[in-house]
Amino acid sequence: MTFLLLFAIVSLFLVPDLKDVWHNLLSEEMGFSLKLSLVTGLVSTVLVMAFALPIGYALSRFDFPFKSFVKTILDLPVAFPELVLGLCLLLLFGNTLVGELFRRLSINLVFTKQGVVAAQFFTALPYASRILKSTFDYISPRLEFVSRSLGYSQMETFFNVSLPLAKNGILAATVISFARCIGTFGTVLILAGGTYMKTEVLPMTLYLNISYGNMGMALTSGIVLTTVSFIAIFIFERTEVDI
Amino acid sequence: MSFVEIDDLSIDLGEFSLKGVSFSLERGDYLTVIGPTGAGKTIFLESIVGFWRPDRGRIALDGRDITAELPEHRHIGIVYQDYALLPHMTVYGNIAYGLKKHKPENMDEAIRKMAQSLHIDHLLHRKPTTLSGGEQQRAALARVLIVEPSLLLMDEPFSALDPQTRRRARLLLKEAIGERATTVIHITHDLDDAWALANKLAVFKDGRLLQIGAMDTVFSRPKNRFVAEFIGTGFFSGTVVSRENGCVKIDVEGTCFQSLDRADKGEPVDVAIRCEDVRVSRKKPSVANGFNILNATLKNIIPEGSSSLLDLGVDNLQMNALLTQNAMRRLDARRGENLYALIRKEHVKIVQAG
Repeated sequence: MTFLLLFAIVSLFLVPDLKDVWHNLLSEEMGFSLKLSLVTGLVSTVLVMAFALPIGYALSRFDFPFKSFVKTILDLPVAFPELVLGLCLLLLFGNTLVGELFRRLSINLVFTKQGVVAAQFFTALPYASRILKSTFDYISPRLEFVSRSLGYSQMETFFNVSLPLAKNGILAATVISFARCIGTFGTVLILAGGTYMKTEVLPMTLYLNISYGNMGMALTSGIVLTTVSFIAIFIFERTEVDI
Repeated sequence: MSFVEIDDLSIDLGEFSLKGVSFSLERGDYLTVIGPTGAGKTIFLESIVGFWRPDRGRIALDGRDITAELPEHRHIGIVYQDYALLPHMTVYGNIAYGLKKHKPENMDEAIRKMAQSLHIDHLLHRKPTTLSGGEQQRAALARVLIVEPSLLLMDEPFSALDPQTRRRARLLLKEAIGERATTVIHITHDLDDAWALANKLAVFKDGRLLQIGAMDTVFSRPKNRFVAEFIGTGFFSGTVVSRENGCVKIDVEGTCFQSLDRADKGEPVDVAIRCEDVRVSRKKPSVANGFNILNATLKNIIPEGSSSLLDLGVDNLQMNALLTQNAMRRLDARRGENLYALIRKEHVKIVQAG
Protein backbone atom coordinates (compact mmCIF):
# COMPACT_ATOMS: atom_id res chain seq x y z
CA MET A 1 0.00 0.00 0.00
CA THR A 2 2.79 2.37 0.98
CA PHE A 3 4.53 1.70 -2.38
CA LEU A 4 1.32 2.30 -4.27
CA LEU A 5 0.80 5.60 -2.48
CA LEU A 6 4.44 6.56 -3.03
CA PHE A 7 4.16 5.63 -6.71
CA ALA A 8 1.00 7.74 -7.06
CA ILE A 9 2.71 10.78 -5.49
CA VAL A 10 5.93 10.32 -7.48
CA SER A 11 3.99 10.01 -10.73
CA LEU A 12 2.56 13.50 -10.06
CA PHE A 13 6.11 14.81 -10.30
CA LEU A 14 7.19 12.56 -13.20
CA VAL A 15 4.25 12.84 -15.59
CA PRO A 16 4.35 16.58 -16.46
CA ASP A 17 7.08 18.18 -18.54
CA LEU A 18 9.26 20.42 -16.33
CA LYS A 19 9.16 23.21 -18.95
CA ASP A 20 5.34 23.08 -18.86
CA VAL A 21 5.33 23.22 -15.06
CA TRP A 22 7.63 26.27 -15.11
CA HIS A 23 5.48 27.91 -17.80
CA ASN A 24 2.28 27.22 -15.82
CA LEU A 25 3.83 28.53 -12.62
CA LEU A 26 4.47 31.85 -14.35
CA SER A 27 0.95 32.10 -15.80
CA GLU A 28 -1.41 34.84 -14.60
CA GLU A 29 -3.97 32.35 -13.26
CA MET A 30 -1.36 30.45 -11.26
CA GLY A 31 0.10 33.71 -9.98
CA PHE A 32 -3.33 34.81 -8.79
CA SER A 33 -4.10 31.43 -7.29
CA LEU A 34 -0.72 31.16 -5.52
CA LYS A 35 -0.96 34.69 -4.15
CA LEU A 36 -4.56 34.22 -2.94
CA SER A 37 -3.71 30.86 -1.38
CA LEU A 38 -0.70 32.27 0.45
CA VAL A 39 -2.49 35.42 1.66
CA THR A 40 -5.69 33.65 2.77
CA GLY A 41 -3.64 30.76 4.19
CA LEU A 42 -1.52 33.13 6.27
CA VAL A 43 -4.49 35.19 7.49
CA SER A 44 -6.48 32.03 8.33
CA THR A 45 -3.50 30.48 10.13
CA VAL A 46 -3.03 33.60 12.27
CA LEU A 47 -6.75 33.58 13.11
CA VAL A 48 -6.74 29.83 13.78
CA MET A 49 -3.78 30.12 16.16
CA ALA A 50 -5.32 33.14 17.92
CA PHE A 51 -8.40 31.01 18.70
CA ALA A 52 -6.77 27.59 19.06
CA LEU A 53 -4.27 28.71 21.73
CA PRO A 54 -6.87 29.73 24.34
CA ILE A 55 -9.15 26.86 23.30
CA GLY A 56 -6.37 24.26 23.61
CA TYR A 57 -5.21 25.72 26.93
CA ALA A 58 -8.73 25.89 28.37
CA LEU A 59 -9.54 22.32 27.29
CA SER A 60 -6.30 21.07 28.83
CA ARG A 61 -6.33 23.03 32.09
CA PHE A 62 -9.87 23.93 33.12
CA ASP A 63 -13.01 22.04 33.96
CA PHE A 64 -16.14 23.85 32.89
CA PRO A 65 -19.75 22.89 32.22
CA PHE A 66 -20.38 21.05 28.92
CA LYS A 67 -16.62 20.58 28.36
CA SER A 68 -17.07 17.25 26.56
CA PHE A 69 -19.82 18.75 24.42
CA VAL A 70 -17.52 21.62 23.42
CA LYS A 71 -14.76 19.09 22.62
CA THR A 72 -17.13 17.05 20.45
CA ILE A 73 -18.34 20.11 18.54
CA LEU A 74 -14.74 21.24 18.00
CA ASP A 75 -13.69 17.79 16.81
CA LEU A 76 -16.69 17.33 14.55
CA PRO A 77 -15.17 19.02 11.48
CA VAL A 78 -12.28 16.52 11.57
CA ALA A 79 -14.68 13.71 10.68
CA PHE A 80 -17.19 15.91 8.83
CA PRO A 81 -17.21 15.88 5.00
CA GLU A 82 -15.78 19.24 3.89
CA LEU A 83 -18.70 19.83 1.55
CA VAL A 84 -21.19 19.46 4.41
CA LEU A 85 -19.14 21.79 6.60
CA GLY A 86 -19.15 24.30 3.74
CA LEU A 87 -22.92 23.93 3.40
CA CYS A 88 -23.41 24.51 7.14
CA LEU A 89 -21.23 27.64 6.98
CA LEU A 90 -23.11 28.85 3.88
CA LEU A 91 -26.41 28.50 5.75
CA LEU A 92 -24.96 30.20 8.85
CA PHE A 93 -23.41 33.16 7.02
CA GLY A 94 -26.15 33.45 4.37
CA ASN A 95 -29.47 35.15 5.01
CA THR A 96 -29.41 34.67 8.76
CA LEU A 97 -28.95 36.94 11.74
CA VAL A 98 -25.30 35.92 11.98
CA GLY A 99 -24.71 36.66 8.28
CA GLU A 100 -26.45 40.00 8.65
CA LEU A 101 -24.34 40.85 11.70
CA PHE A 102 -21.14 40.15 9.73
CA ARG A 103 -22.38 42.17 6.72
CA ARG A 104 -23.03 45.14 9.04
CA LEU A 105 -19.38 44.88 10.04
CA SER A 106 -18.55 44.98 6.29
CA ILE A 107 -17.63 41.29 6.32
CA ASN A 108 -19.41 39.35 3.60
CA LEU A 109 -18.43 35.72 3.83
CA VAL A 110 -20.49 34.27 0.99
CA PHE A 111 -18.76 33.89 -2.41
CA THR A 112 -15.95 36.28 -1.44
CA LYS A 113 -12.25 36.11 -0.57
CA GLN A 114 -13.26 36.68 3.08
CA GLY A 115 -15.35 33.54 2.68
CA VAL A 116 -12.19 31.66 1.64
CA VAL A 117 -10.58 32.70 4.94
CA ALA A 118 -13.70 31.67 6.92
CA ALA A 119 -13.82 28.27 5.20
CA GLN A 120 -10.11 27.65 5.81
CA PHE A 121 -10.44 28.85 9.42
CA PHE A 122 -13.24 26.42 10.32
CA THR A 123 -11.50 23.53 8.59
CA ALA A 124 -8.13 24.04 10.32
CA LEU A 125 -9.30 25.14 13.80
CA PRO A 126 -10.09 21.61 15.14
CA TYR A 127 -6.66 20.30 14.08
CA ALA A 128 -4.80 23.18 15.74
CA SER A 129 -6.96 22.97 18.90
CA ARG A 130 -6.28 19.24 19.22
CA ILE A 131 -2.52 19.62 18.75
CA LEU A 132 -2.37 22.48 21.27
CA LYS A 133 -4.52 20.64 23.81
CA SER A 134 -2.14 17.66 23.61
CA THR A 135 0.81 20.05 23.92
CA PHE A 136 -0.53 21.63 27.11
CA ASP A 137 -1.51 18.17 28.43
CA TYR A 138 2.19 17.26 28.20
CA ILE A 139 3.25 20.25 30.30
CA SER A 140 3.02 19.41 34.00
CA PRO A 141 0.55 21.74 35.75
CA ARG A 142 2.98 21.65 38.66
CA LEU A 143 5.32 23.95 36.71
CA GLU A 144 2.50 26.48 36.56
CA PHE A 145 1.60 25.88 40.23
CA VAL A 146 5.19 26.60 41.25
CA SER A 147 5.28 29.75 39.13
CA ARG A 148 2.13 31.01 40.81
CA SER A 149 3.45 30.19 44.28
CA LEU A 150 6.50 32.32 43.39
CA GLY A 151 4.26 35.35 42.91
CA TYR A 152 3.22 35.26 39.23
CA SER A 153 -0.42 35.64 38.18
CA GLN A 154 -2.15 33.09 35.95
CA MET A 155 -1.63 35.31 32.90
CA GLU A 156 2.06 35.96 33.70
CA THR A 157 2.52 32.22 34.28
CA PHE A 158 0.95 31.49 30.89
CA PHE A 159 3.41 33.79 29.13
CA ASN A 160 6.48 32.90 31.26
CA VAL A 161 6.00 29.14 31.58
CA SER A 162 3.23 27.55 29.49
CA LEU A 163 3.85 29.40 26.24
CA PRO A 164 7.65 28.94 26.04
CA LEU A 165 7.28 25.26 26.91
CA ALA A 166 4.59 24.84 24.26
CA LYS A 167 6.70 26.39 21.48
CA ASN A 168 7.23 23.10 19.61
CA GLY A 169 3.52 22.32 19.73
CA ILE A 170 2.66 25.86 18.64
CA LEU A 171 5.03 25.57 15.67
CA ALA A 172 3.57 22.17 14.75
CA ALA A 173 0.00 23.47 15.04
CA THR A 174 0.88 26.52 12.91
CA VAL A 175 2.43 24.40 10.14
CA ILE A 176 -0.42 21.88 10.10
CA SER A 177 -2.99 24.69 10.14
CA PHE A 178 -1.29 26.41 7.21
CA ALA A 179 -1.17 23.15 5.24
CA ARG A 180 -4.85 22.48 6.00
CA CYS A 181 -5.79 26.05 5.00
CA ILE A 182 -3.86 25.88 1.72
CA GLY A 183 -5.30 22.47 0.85
CA THR A 184 -8.94 23.02 1.82
CA PHE A 185 -11.25 22.48 -1.14
CA GLY A 186 -14.81 21.41 -0.36
CA THR A 187 -15.55 24.00 2.33
CA VAL A 188 -14.07 26.80 0.18
CA LEU A 189 -16.00 25.64 -2.89
CA ILE A 190 -19.39 25.76 -1.14
CA LEU A 191 -18.90 28.91 1.00
CA ALA A 192 -16.66 31.06 -1.23
CA GLY A 193 -17.47 29.51 -4.58
CA GLY A 194 -15.00 28.34 -7.22
CA THR A 195 -14.95 31.52 -9.29
CA TYR A 196 -12.11 31.89 -11.83
CA MET A 197 -9.61 34.57 -10.76
CA LYS A 198 -11.84 35.66 -7.87
CA THR A 199 -11.95 33.00 -5.19
CA GLU A 200 -9.54 30.73 -7.00
CA VAL A 201 -7.14 29.16 -4.52
CA LEU A 202 -4.74 26.34 -5.49
CA PRO A 203 -7.16 23.40 -4.99
CA MET A 204 -9.73 25.37 -7.01
CA THR A 205 -7.17 25.89 -9.84
CA LEU A 206 -6.65 22.12 -9.88
CA TYR A 207 -10.42 21.50 -9.95
CA LEU A 208 -11.26 24.15 -12.54
CA ASN A 209 -8.44 23.11 -14.91
CA ILE A 210 -9.35 19.41 -14.63
CA SER A 211 -12.89 20.45 -15.60
CA TYR A 212 -11.58 22.37 -18.64
CA GLY A 213 -9.29 19.48 -19.57
CA ASN A 214 -6.15 21.58 -18.95
CA MET A 215 -4.05 18.83 -17.35
CA GLY A 216 -0.83 20.86 -17.28
CA MET A 217 -2.24 23.56 -14.96
CA ALA A 218 -4.02 20.92 -12.86
CA LEU A 219 -0.80 18.95 -12.42
CA THR A 220 1.18 22.10 -11.58
CA SER A 221 -1.38 23.00 -8.85
CA GLY A 222 -1.11 19.44 -7.56
CA ILE A 223 2.71 19.67 -7.42
CA VAL A 224 2.58 22.98 -5.51
CA LEU A 225 0.01 21.61 -3.03
CA THR A 226 1.99 18.40 -2.52
CA THR A 227 5.21 20.35 -1.95
CA VAL A 228 3.51 22.52 0.71
CA SER A 229 2.19 19.34 2.40
CA PHE A 230 5.65 17.70 2.33
CA ILE A 231 7.28 20.74 3.89
CA ALA A 232 4.53 20.92 6.53
CA ILE A 233 4.85 17.24 7.48
CA PHE A 234 8.66 17.53 7.52
CA ILE A 235 8.52 20.49 9.94
CA PHE A 236 5.79 18.75 12.00
CA GLU A 237 7.92 15.60 12.39
CA ARG A 238 10.98 17.65 13.36
CA THR A 239 9.10 19.63 15.99
CA GLU A 240 7.08 16.82 17.55
CA VAL A 241 6.04 17.79 21.05
CA ASP A 242 8.90 17.00 23.35
CA ILE A 243 8.41 18.54 26.77
CA MET B 1 -3.09 32.87 67.94
CA SER B 2 -1.02 30.26 66.08
CA PHE B 3 1.10 31.03 63.00
CA VAL B 4 -0.74 28.51 60.80
CA GLU B 5 -4.39 27.81 61.57
CA ILE B 6 -6.37 25.35 59.51
CA ASP B 7 -9.95 24.83 60.44
CA ASP B 8 -12.33 22.20 59.01
CA LEU B 9 -10.56 22.17 55.60
CA SER B 10 -12.65 20.06 53.22
CA ILE B 11 -12.37 19.52 49.50
CA ASP B 12 -13.64 16.83 47.15
CA LEU B 13 -11.79 16.29 43.87
CA GLY B 14 -13.40 12.95 43.13
CA GLU B 15 -10.41 10.63 43.35
CA PHE B 16 -8.88 12.53 46.27
CA SER B 17 -10.49 14.47 49.07
CA LEU B 18 -9.91 16.17 52.39
CA LYS B 19 -12.46 15.80 55.14
CA GLY B 20 -12.58 18.37 57.93
CA VAL B 21 -8.85 18.80 58.51
CA SER B 22 -8.11 21.07 61.47
CA PHE B 23 -4.82 21.86 63.21
CA SER B 24 -2.47 24.67 64.05
CA LEU B 25 1.28 25.23 63.91
CA GLU B 26 3.54 27.69 65.69
CA ARG B 27 6.16 29.78 63.87
CA GLY B 28 9.25 27.64 63.22
CA ASP B 29 7.40 24.32 63.59
CA TYR B 30 8.48 21.52 61.25
CA LEU B 31 5.57 19.18 60.59
CA THR B 32 6.05 15.92 58.70
CA VAL B 33 2.95 14.39 57.17
CA ILE B 34 2.72 10.66 56.60
CA GLY B 35 -0.02 8.39 55.32
CA PRO B 36 -0.70 5.73 52.72
CA THR B 37 -0.84 6.56 49.00
CA GLY B 38 -4.14 8.26 48.13
CA ALA B 39 -4.60 9.65 51.64
CA GLY B 40 -4.98 13.19 50.25
CA LYS B 41 -1.57 14.46 51.39
CA THR B 42 -0.67 16.27 48.15
CA ILE B 43 -4.15 17.81 47.85
CA PHE B 44 -3.69 18.99 51.42
CA LEU B 45 -0.48 20.86 50.48
CA GLU B 46 -1.94 22.18 47.22
CA SER B 47 -5.00 23.48 49.08
CA ILE B 48 -2.79 25.38 51.52
CA VAL B 49 -0.75 26.95 48.70
CA GLY B 50 -4.00 27.87 46.95
CA PHE B 51 -4.16 25.63 43.87
CA TRP B 52 -7.48 24.14 44.96
CA ARG B 53 -10.26 26.15 46.47
CA PRO B 54 -11.68 24.30 49.49
CA ASP B 55 -15.38 23.44 49.58
CA ARG B 56 -15.42 24.31 53.26
CA GLY B 57 -13.06 25.53 55.95
CA ARG B 58 -10.56 28.26 56.66
CA ILE B 59 -6.81 28.70 56.26
CA ALA B 60 -5.07 31.46 58.20
CA LEU B 61 -1.41 32.40 58.05
CA ASP B 62 0.08 34.72 60.67
CA GLY B 63 -3.40 35.86 61.64
CA ARG B 64 -4.46 36.60 58.04
CA ASP B 65 -7.32 34.64 56.48
CA ILE B 66 -5.89 33.44 53.14
CA THR B 67 -8.65 30.96 52.23
CA ALA B 68 -9.85 33.02 49.26
CA GLU B 69 -6.48 34.56 48.31
CA LEU B 70 -4.81 33.73 45.00
CA PRO B 71 -1.67 31.55 45.25
CA GLU B 72 0.56 34.40 44.06
CA HIS B 73 -0.45 36.54 47.05
CA ARG B 74 -0.01 33.91 49.77
CA HIS B 75 3.79 33.89 49.92
CA ILE B 76 3.87 30.13 50.47
CA GLY B 77 6.62 28.13 48.78
CA ILE B 78 6.28 24.58 47.49
CA VAL B 79 8.84 21.94 46.50
CA TYR B 80 7.53 18.91 44.62
CA GLN B 81 8.74 15.33 44.49
CA ASP B 82 9.81 15.87 40.85
CA TYR B 83 11.14 19.36 41.80
CA ALA B 84 9.17 21.07 38.99
CA LEU B 85 12.19 23.07 37.79
CA LEU B 86 11.35 25.12 34.72
CA PRO B 87 13.06 23.15 31.92
CA HIS B 88 13.44 26.12 29.57
CA MET B 89 15.51 28.07 32.08
CA THR B 90 18.98 27.47 33.52
CA VAL B 91 19.47 26.79 37.23
CA TYR B 92 20.32 30.50 37.59
CA GLY B 93 17.10 31.42 35.74
CA ASN B 94 15.08 29.13 37.97
CA ILE B 95 16.50 30.60 41.19
CA ALA B 96 16.12 34.14 39.81
CA TYR B 97 12.53 33.50 38.68
CA GLY B 98 10.83 34.01 42.04
CA LEU B 99 13.29 36.67 43.11
CA LYS B 100 12.67 38.81 39.99
CA LYS B 101 9.14 39.41 41.22
CA HIS B 102 10.54 41.19 44.28
CA LYS B 103 13.30 42.97 42.27
CA PRO B 104 15.95 43.17 45.00
CA GLU B 105 18.97 45.42 44.28
CA ASN B 106 21.62 42.76 44.77
CA MET B 107 19.81 39.91 43.05
CA ASP B 108 22.89 38.38 41.41
CA GLU B 109 24.80 38.37 44.68
CA ALA B 110 21.83 36.81 46.52
CA ILE B 111 21.52 34.04 43.92
CA ARG B 112 25.22 33.20 44.04
CA LYS B 113 25.21 33.21 47.85
CA MET B 114 22.19 30.89 47.98
CA ALA B 115 23.71 28.61 45.33
CA GLN B 116 26.94 28.47 47.31
CA SER B 117 25.15 27.56 50.54
CA LEU B 118 23.47 24.64 48.76
CA HIS B 119 26.63 23.65 46.84
CA ILE B 120 25.19 24.29 43.38
CA ASP B 121 27.19 27.41 42.47
CA HIS B 122 29.05 25.41 39.77
CA LEU B 123 25.72 24.39 38.16
CA LEU B 124 24.13 27.81 37.66
CA HIS B 125 24.59 27.79 33.86
CA ARG B 126 23.18 24.27 33.42
CA LYS B 127 19.65 23.32 32.31
CA PRO B 128 17.68 21.26 34.90
CA THR B 129 17.45 18.22 32.61
CA THR B 130 21.24 17.83 32.74
CA LEU B 131 21.33 17.62 36.55
CA SER B 132 21.23 14.60 38.86
CA GLY B 133 18.28 14.10 41.22
CA GLY B 134 20.20 15.52 44.18
CA GLU B 135 21.32 18.57 42.20
CA GLN B 136 17.77 19.22 40.97
CA GLN B 137 16.51 18.89 44.52
CA ARG B 138 19.00 21.51 45.75
CA ALA B 139 18.17 23.83 42.84
CA ALA B 140 14.44 23.57 43.67
CA LEU B 141 15.23 24.25 47.32
CA ALA B 142 17.37 27.27 46.40
CA ARG B 143 14.55 28.64 44.20
CA VAL B 144 12.04 28.50 47.03
CA LEU B 145 14.29 29.47 49.95
CA ILE B 146 15.65 32.60 48.25
CA VAL B 147 12.19 34.22 48.30
CA GLU B 148 11.96 33.49 52.04
CA PRO B 149 8.40 32.12 52.07
CA SER B 150 6.29 32.51 55.19
CA LEU B 151 5.50 28.81 54.98
CA LEU B 152 7.40 26.13 53.09
CA LEU B 153 5.56 23.06 51.78
CA MET B 154 7.45 20.01 50.55
CA ASP B 155 5.93 17.00 48.82
CA GLU B 156 8.32 14.06 49.22
CA PRO B 157 11.38 16.09 48.18
CA PHE B 158 13.84 13.28 48.98
CA SER B 159 11.96 10.30 47.55
CA ALA B 160 13.93 10.19 44.28
CA LEU B 161 17.32 10.37 45.99
CA ASP B 162 19.63 7.50 46.89
CA PRO B 163 20.10 6.93 50.66
CA GLN B 164 23.47 8.71 50.88
CA THR B 165 22.31 11.77 48.90
CA ARG B 166 19.13 11.79 50.98
CA ARG B 167 21.15 11.98 54.21
CA ARG B 168 23.23 14.87 52.81
CA ALA B 169 20.07 16.61 51.57
CA ARG B 170 18.51 16.33 55.03
CA LEU B 171 21.55 17.97 56.60
CA LEU B 172 21.57 20.76 54.03
CA LEU B 173 17.86 21.36 54.46
CA LYS B 174 18.20 21.40 58.23
CA GLU B 175 20.94 24.02 57.98
CA ALA B 176 19.01 26.15 55.49
CA ILE B 177 15.73 25.96 57.43
CA GLY B 178 17.43 26.42 60.78
CA GLU B 179 19.02 29.71 59.72
CA ARG B 180 15.65 31.19 58.80
CA ALA B 181 13.40 29.43 61.35
CA THR B 182 11.03 28.71 58.46
CA THR B 183 7.76 26.95 59.25
CA VAL B 184 7.60 23.76 57.19
CA ILE B 185 5.04 21.12 56.25
CA HIS B 186 6.80 18.14 54.69
CA ILE B 187 5.12 15.05 53.22
CA THR B 188 7.24 11.94 53.41
CA HIS B 189 7.06 8.15 53.31
CA ASP B 190 10.32 7.87 55.21
CA LEU B 191 10.06 8.11 58.99
CA ASP B 192 13.80 8.86 59.08
CA ASP B 193 12.94 12.24 57.47
CA ALA B 194 10.54 12.86 60.32
CA TRP B 195 13.04 11.94 63.02
CA ALA B 196 15.85 13.92 61.40
CA LEU B 197 13.93 17.12 60.69
CA ALA B 198 10.56 17.46 62.36
CA ASN B 199 9.23 18.35 65.76
CA LYS B 200 5.66 17.39 64.84
CA LEU B 201 4.05 14.51 63.00
CA ALA B 202 0.65 14.18 61.31
CA VAL B 203 -0.93 10.97 60.01
CA PHE B 204 -3.49 11.07 57.19
CA LYS B 205 -5.81 8.37 55.91
CA ASP B 206 -8.65 8.63 53.38
CA GLY B 207 -8.55 12.45 53.46
CA ARG B 208 -8.80 12.61 57.24
CA LEU B 209 -6.20 13.81 59.69
CA LEU B 210 -6.07 10.90 62.13
CA GLN B 211 -3.53 12.33 64.53
CA ILE B 212 -1.18 15.28 64.88
CA GLY B 213 1.20 16.05 67.70
CA ALA B 214 4.78 16.17 68.89
CA MET B 215 6.87 13.39 67.33
CA ASP B 216 7.37 11.57 70.61
CA THR B 217 3.70 11.79 71.56
CA VAL B 218 2.47 10.33 68.27
CA PHE B 219 4.99 7.48 68.43
CA SER B 220 4.33 6.75 72.13
CA ARG B 221 0.59 7.25 72.13
CA PRO B 222 -0.86 6.57 68.67
CA LYS B 223 -4.57 7.31 68.64
CA ASN B 224 -5.67 4.12 66.97
CA ARG B 225 -4.48 0.83 65.53
CA PHE B 226 -3.99 2.28 62.01
CA VAL B 227 -1.68 5.06 63.22
CA ALA B 228 0.22 2.62 65.44
CA GLU B 229 0.74 0.11 62.66
CA PHE B 230 1.69 2.83 60.18
CA ILE B 231 4.47 4.18 62.41
CA GLY B 232 5.52 0.73 63.63
CA THR B 233 4.30 0.96 67.19
CA GLY B 234 2.75 -2.14 68.81
CA PHE B 235 -0.93 -1.70 69.61
CA PHE B 236 -2.90 -4.10 71.81
CA SER B 237 -6.42 -4.11 73.20
CA GLY B 238 -6.97 -5.50 76.69
CA THR B 239 -8.65 -5.05 80.06
CA VAL B 240 -7.31 -3.64 83.33
CA VAL B 241 -7.29 -6.51 85.82
CA SER B 242 -5.80 -4.74 88.83
CA ARG B 243 -4.51 -1.40 90.06
CA GLU B 244 -1.98 -1.31 92.91
CA ASN B 245 0.60 1.25 94.07
CA GLY B 246 0.23 3.42 90.95
CA CYS B 247 0.75 0.42 88.65
CA VAL B 248 -2.02 -1.13 86.55
CA LYS B 249 -2.01 -4.66 85.20
CA ILE B 250 -3.57 -5.14 81.78
CA ASP B 251 -4.53 -8.49 80.37
CA VAL B 252 -4.10 -8.73 76.61
CA GLU B 253 -5.24 -12.13 75.31
CA GLY B 254 -3.65 -13.87 78.31
CA THR B 255 -0.43 -11.82 78.36
CA CYS B 256 -0.09 -9.44 81.28
CA PHE B 257 1.45 -5.97 80.87
CA GLN B 258 2.17 -3.55 83.72
CA SER B 259 1.90 0.18 83.09
CA LEU B 260 2.40 3.29 85.19
CA ASP B 261 -0.46 5.06 83.39
CA ARG B 262 -3.84 5.53 85.00
CA ALA B 263 -6.90 3.35 84.37
CA ASP B 264 -9.60 1.74 86.46
CA LYS B 265 -9.96 -1.95 87.21
CA GLY B 266 -12.22 -3.68 84.71
CA GLU B 267 -11.78 -0.91 82.14
CA PRO B 268 -11.11 -1.97 78.52
CA VAL B 269 -8.01 -0.15 77.25
CA ASP B 270 -5.68 0.09 74.24
CA VAL B 271 -1.97 -0.21 74.94
CA ALA B 272 0.88 1.10 72.76
CA ILE B 273 4.47 -0.11 72.94
CA ARG B 274 7.14 1.39 70.66
CA CYS B 275 9.45 -1.11 69.06
CA GLU B 276 12.45 0.99 70.18
CA ASP B 277 11.32 0.45 73.80
CA VAL B 278 11.36 -3.34 73.60
CA ARG B 279 14.69 -4.78 74.73
CA VAL B 280 15.59 -8.38 74.01
CA SER B 281 17.71 -10.67 76.19
CA ARG B 282 18.81 -14.30 76.14
CA LYS B 283 18.88 -14.46 79.95
CA LYS B 284 15.94 -13.78 82.21
CA PRO B 285 16.85 -10.91 84.61
CA SER B 286 16.80 -12.03 88.24
CA VAL B 287 15.03 -8.87 89.40
CA ALA B 288 12.14 -7.29 87.49
CA ASN B 289 13.31 -3.78 88.48
CA GLY B 290 10.52 -1.85 86.81
CA PHE B 291 10.38 -4.06 83.69
CA ASN B 292 7.72 -6.25 82.15
CA ILE B 293 9.52 -9.52 81.44
CA LEU B 294 7.86 -11.66 78.78
CA ASN B 295 8.77 -14.99 77.19
CA ALA B 296 9.28 -14.44 73.46
CA THR B 297 10.11 -16.49 70.41
CA LEU B 298 12.20 -14.90 67.66
CA LYS B 299 10.14 -15.42 64.52
CA ASN B 300 12.01 -13.24 62.02
CA ILE B 301 14.83 -10.72 61.67
CA ILE B 302 14.36 -7.86 59.19
CA PRO B 303 17.58 -5.87 58.63
CA GLU B 304 16.90 -2.12 58.18
CA GLY B 305 20.29 -0.53 57.46
CA SER B 306 21.84 0.51 60.76
CA SER B 307 19.26 -1.45 62.79
CA SER B 308 17.23 -4.65 62.64
CA LEU B 309 13.57 -5.23 63.31
CA LEU B 310 12.89 -8.36 65.31
CA ASP B 311 9.54 -10.07 64.89
CA LEU B 312 8.71 -11.63 68.27
CA GLY B 313 5.95 -14.02 69.24
CA VAL B 314 4.87 -13.27 72.83
CA ASP B 315 2.25 -15.89 73.80
CA ASN B 316 -0.57 -15.17 71.34
CA LEU B 317 0.72 -11.68 70.49
CA GLN B 318 3.04 -10.46 67.79
CA MET B 319 5.44 -7.72 68.85
CA ASN B 320 8.37 -5.92 67.22
CA ALA B 321 11.66 -4.85 68.71
CA LEU B 322 14.12 -2.49 67.00
CA LEU B 323 17.75 -3.21 67.81
CA THR B 324 20.91 -1.51 66.59
CA GLN B 325 23.39 -3.69 64.70
CA ASN B 326 25.72 -3.59 67.72
CA ALA B 327 22.91 -4.83 69.97
CA MET B 328 22.12 -7.53 67.39
CA ARG B 329 25.75 -8.71 67.44
CA ARG B 330 25.72 -8.84 71.24
CA LEU B 331 22.42 -10.76 71.25
CA ASP B 332 23.57 -13.20 68.56
CA ALA B 333 20.11 -14.79 68.29
CA ARG B 334 18.76 -17.12 65.60
CA ARG B 335 15.29 -17.52 64.20
CA GLY B 336 13.12 -19.81 66.37
CA GLU B 337 15.15 -19.18 69.53
CA ASN B 338 13.40 -18.52 72.87
CA LEU B 339 14.28 -15.13 74.32
CA TYR B 340 12.96 -12.58 76.80
CA ALA B 341 11.30 -9.30 75.85
CA LEU B 342 11.89 -6.57 78.44
CA ILE B 343 9.68 -3.48 78.46
CA ARG B 344 9.87 -0.77 81.10
CA LYS B 345 6.51 -0.18 82.79
CA GLU B 346 6.57 3.53 81.85
CA HIS B 347 6.94 2.54 78.20
CA VAL B 348 3.65 0.64 78.22
CA LYS B 349 1.31 3.50 77.32
CA ILE B 350 -2.43 3.36 77.78
CA VAL B 351 -3.58 5.41 74.78
CA GLN B 352 -7.30 5.05 74.86
CA ALA B 353 -9.49 3.93 77.68
CA GLY B 354 -12.96 2.61 76.99
